[in-house]
Amino acid sequence: MKPPPLLLGAALLFWGWQTGFLIPGALMAALLEGARLIKVRWELSEEDFSRLWAFCSVLLLAALVFSFNTYVGLSNFTGRGRNPILFPQNGAGQAGARTAIALFRWLPIIFFLFVAAQSYNSNEQIPRSTLLRILRWRWRKADKRASPEFPTRGVNVGYPYFALTLFAASNHAGENSRYFFWGLSLLTAWALWPQRSRRFATLIWFGTFTLVIALGFAGQSGLGQFQSFIGGLNPQWLSPTWGRRGTDPIQSRTWLGEIGKLKQSGTIIIRLQPEIGAAPPLLREASYRTYRLQTWYSGSELQNGAFPGRRRKWRGMLQRTNATALPFFRPWFRRNEFEPLMPQTNGTTWVLLANKTNTSRVQIACYLEGRTQEAEPRGMLPLPTGCSRLDRLPAFGLRKNDLGAIYAVGPGLVMFDACYGPGDTIDSPPGTNEDLDVPNDERPALEKVAAELGVEEKGRDEVLRAVQRFFEDRFEYRIWQEPPKDSDTKETPLSRFLLQTHSGHCEYFATATVLLLRELHIQARYAVGYAVQETSGDGYIVRQRDAHAWCLVWNDRTRTWEDFDTTPGSWVNAESRRASPWQRLLDAWSWTGFELAKFRWGQSPLRQYLPILLVPVLALLLYRILFRRGRTRARRPAADTQPPVAWPGRDSEFYLVERKLAEGGVLRQPNETLSHWLRRAAMDPAVAGVNGPLRTLLQLHYRYRFDPRSLGPTDREELKRGTHRVLETLNRQN
Amino acid sequence: MRLIFRILYVLDRIVLRLRHQIPHRLTPAGLAVSAGFIIVSVTALDTDNTVAYQAFILLLLLLLVSFPFVFFFKGRFLAVRSLPRFGTVGHPFSYRVVVTNLTPKTQRGLTLLENTLDPRPSFGEWMSAEEAGRKRHSFLHLSGRLGEIPFKVARVKEAEVPSILPNKEAEATVELMPLRRGVLRFHGVILGRPDPLGLFRAFAKVSLPQTVLILPKRYPLPRIALPGTTKYQEGGVTFASNVGQSEEFVALREYRRGDPLRHIHWRSWAKAGKPIVKEFEDEFFVRHALVLDTFTDDPRNELFEEAVSVAASFACAVLSQESLLDLLFVESQAYCFTAGRGLSHTDQILEILAAVRPSGQKRIRTLESLVLDHAAMVSGCVCVLLAWDPARQDLVKKLKALDVPVLVLVLAEAGRAKSIDPGPLRGGPVRFQVLEVGRIEEDLANIG
Repeated sequence: MKPPPLLLGAALLFWGWQTGFLIPGALMAALLEGARLIKVRWELSEEDFSRLWAFCSVLLLAALVFSFNTYVGLSNFTGRGRNPILFPQNGAGQAGARTAIALFRWLPIIFFLFVAAQSYNSNEQIPRSTLLRILRWRWRKADKRASPEFPTRGVNVGYPYFALTLFAASNHAGENSRYFFWGLSLLTAWALWPQRSRRFATLIWFGTFTLVIALGFAGQSGLGQFQSFIGGLNPQWLSPTWGRRGTDPIQSRTWLGEIGKLKQSGTIIIRLQPEIGAAPPLLREASYRTYRLQTWYSGSELQNGAFPGRRRKWRGMLQRTNATALPFFRPWFRRNEFEPLMPQTNGTTWVLLANKTNTSRVQIACYLEGRTQEAEPRGMLPLPTGCSRLDRLPAFGLRKNDLGAIYAVGPGLVMFDACYGPGDTIDSPPGTNEDLDVPNDERPALEKVAAELGVEEKGRDEVLRAVQRFFEDRFEYRIWQEPPKDSDTKETPLSRFLLQTHSGHCEYFATATVLLLRELHIQARYAVGYAVQETSGDGYIVRQRDAHAWCLVWNDRTRTWEDFDTTPGSWVNAESRRASPWQRLLDAWSWTGFELAKFRWGQSPLRQYLPILLVPVLALLLYRILFRRGRTRARRPAADTQPPVAWPGRDSEFYLVERKLAEGGVLRQPNETLSHWLRRAAMDPAVAGVNGPLRTLLQLHYRYRFDPRSLGPTDREELKRGTHRVLETLNRQN
Repeated sequence: MRLIFRILYVLDRIVLRLRHQIPHRLTPAGLAVSAGFIIVSVTALDTDNTVAYQAFILLLLLLLVSFPFVFFFKGRFLAVRSLPRFGTVGHPFSYRVVVTNLTPKTQRGLTLLENTLDPRPSFGEWMSAEEAGRKRHSFLHLSGRLGEIPFKVARVKEAEVPSILPNKEAEATVELMPLRRGVLRFHGVILGRPDPLGLFRAFAKVSLPQTVLILPKRYPLPRIALPGTTKYQEGGVTFASNVGQSEEFVALREYRRGDPLRHIHWRSWAKAGKPIVKEFEDEFFVRHALVLDTFTDDPRNELFEEAVSVAASFACAVLSQESLLDLLFVESQAYCFTAGRGLSHTDQILEILAAVRPSGQKRIRTLESLVLDHAAMVSGCVCVLLAWDPARQDLVKKLKALDVPVLVLVLAEAGRAKSIDPGPLRGGPVRFQVLEVGRIEEDLANIG
């Protein structure tokens, strides 16, 4: 089925206008429609079309890589980093959609060569076997194993290309979009006009199509409003996630009170490469101020007294259902808001603390595995204490809270340089109440321990030493917790740790230390992050089981926060013993995943060169196609020197009648003679009125066509005039 | 597991039903609009970056406005179909359908659609095909689902019907492409009337049950000198109506009870005064056995279809050489059909081959006993085998031990011909040829 004249050209112009490719669209339209004027034709074989299809496929692949690189690549992220306010609008989730949309928009260009080859082919068709190969994805055995097919010469792909062009034109949201509907309606009507049913009057067709357009115009604006309504909904299941590392800067639920063995995997999640100085022993992701019912919160408790944990009847239930109680607690705490940070002019340098001298620099590679509502990768950055500047960080944007947590939105893997040194940190100075807050239900145990230490009247350094010694001497690191022997609901896990078991994991030590120091009037905070202890080549790796908790202690003299870790050093060995026997194999797998992630998220230079690698492949393909055609063209003139055979009677006007009746549905079969066909056509009421003249004309046509003496001038004129008379009659009847 | 397959079977039936019916209900333009609608509906969700939702609405409304017209068509027609008796796989043919308009209104723009038997298989057939497919490919092999509809016997083109005056008739020519051998059953014809936009068709159905037998595909064979010599046939002249060596006069003898009257030599009776009959030489014919291997679990086995085609090719070639042919195969039971020399004709053998089905349950021992029982009568044997495993090799060895000349033809999947080793037959008197799917014609040419 061949599209009507100028339809493809109009569709290409429309596509060019809508997508901003007007000049390419006009050129392509001129080339395609020019085939009607240019009489030169190629004799393209099935193999030629197969090669052209292969070329278009490679072009499609190249376009895919190019658009992926443009819309999801490093350069794009870097550009976004300059404007950190762009979180929701320009996220990575949208980048994937933009990649697809850009690709769809280029489809008419990508497949133009194939369609142009059809237009300039001698029979303006694609061989059917080529299409079958394409559709069945079989290239070698298509001919031999394909199901039997009707013997047809080929297929015209004009209509599919027309549909492809309209589809490509719909992939934009520019200023011209308000005209899109009208252009689309007009072109669709044009395409469907030849396919209409001749049974119904033209007026009915127009009326029906006008109804469709009117309803469509009303409907498309309604659909836009509906989409906005759906987009405005924010159900719970769309809420963001925090990924494998899972640090929530607002709250941290501890495993205090959980029975059994903690299970942490040996998956590598952070890689460090010290550049100046030694690697930091701890990487902090967040710190917290308020402790309630085994959970640390970054904000302070609201002062309205409505916190349900205060009530006795709630407490036991909440202790038992700690895991599910977290969202329930949030409304009773003041949120610790994040403030956006602005990058430097290069877009990848982020200054956290101005005017600080850094003595060390470490390259950190970590995954951002959480997802925002727009499905963008996000997460907390693990940073050494005292970090003041981040270099080469390709994030969309950073935000920090006053507890020193840095929240990043960016590619799924970030590699950056952290510059740090002793001295100031980005944490806010201690508050009088929040950083000395001790929950009432923990106070009895803490008072007992403080009295046992007997350091209330001593200086800060002595207190710290005493606390450190206290935990070192009397406590042991253990990841296994047994159920309590008695079921006293007033007893908290922490008091059981301090007074009875004297064993636990790092969260017990860190929580107990923070609260004990506060009980001794020293401001402290609870910090979570990772311990850096395992080397790998020149650098370090951090596994998931290296997750650690410690405390931050305020130093009044230097006016800085300092790390203070009371967890016994045996915890490192205890965790190492849990390594899987397949650790090396898993590490190799992790390394492969890391390298792939580097490539995927634009952290590898290889990706920048990928489009360049495709150029020689495309060039080679094009060369092969052109080179072969050149040889064929060179041979053709010799073959074409034979003049075409001019069969007599080929210009008979009777063929116009045949064409006219075929349009009306009376098709002549390939094996049907004109006289038999005319007998059959006479049964049509439209033809019945001109049956007599047609029989006379047929006799003249046969003589003109086959009589060696041909027609005399009078008869020839009669054939011409008679035919026109019949045609006029048929036109009037329609 | 069976429940999962049952669910998949139901889903497959639904898909097949849709694939069978949608091309009838939708015109080519309607199919294009529907396909466009499905594609656009994916991108239409993103109203921020695309305006595809406008195309989505337009195409949806085109379909919605057109569809109600399928319920308003009160055409009444009569139809007469002129079908040939046979068709052959891969060879299209056309036939005429005369449609009579029984309404008082001229009917224009109608399309004639054939309502053939629904190609959906039974659960047993489907399951066998799936299990065979899984053995060849992998779990839940879904290859080929996008191509031809499995179990479909023929593809029928829709035909334009010329305008029909009230109470008059018109003739449409329908083209049909046989895809598989077997009986093609027609339920009736459907006269489709398109809606004003030309997307959907309203139906007027005319019951017109008929059948055509689709014969297996046949390959041209070279002039083959089949192995073996003439042999005495116990049936005598009943196998040889008028040609061959049976008319060879040997001697006269006295009439014995049961001699045919036409052998009485009347002049000698007159001389001798007692009935004398002519005695003829014993009946010696060339008689070949064509052994068809049907032992496969897959009802859609491509190798089996090719084996049937090869057998059909041999049947046609041998029966034109003035000899007898025994077609031996096992289906639900062991069968032996004899043709040639006036007994039955090529078309009857082809009819049998058109209907032969794989024997999933039986063992090759059944075929072996059938063949060995016939070995004494036949001059030579052509074995068309689906594999070359020890059981089949054993059958050929036994024929060889009985001094029966054998031509062994083993079907092989494309690209696997070289992996089949003749084994004990290499270099021996038994002719062995592997026929590779995709180049069977070339391989058959080698046995000439």
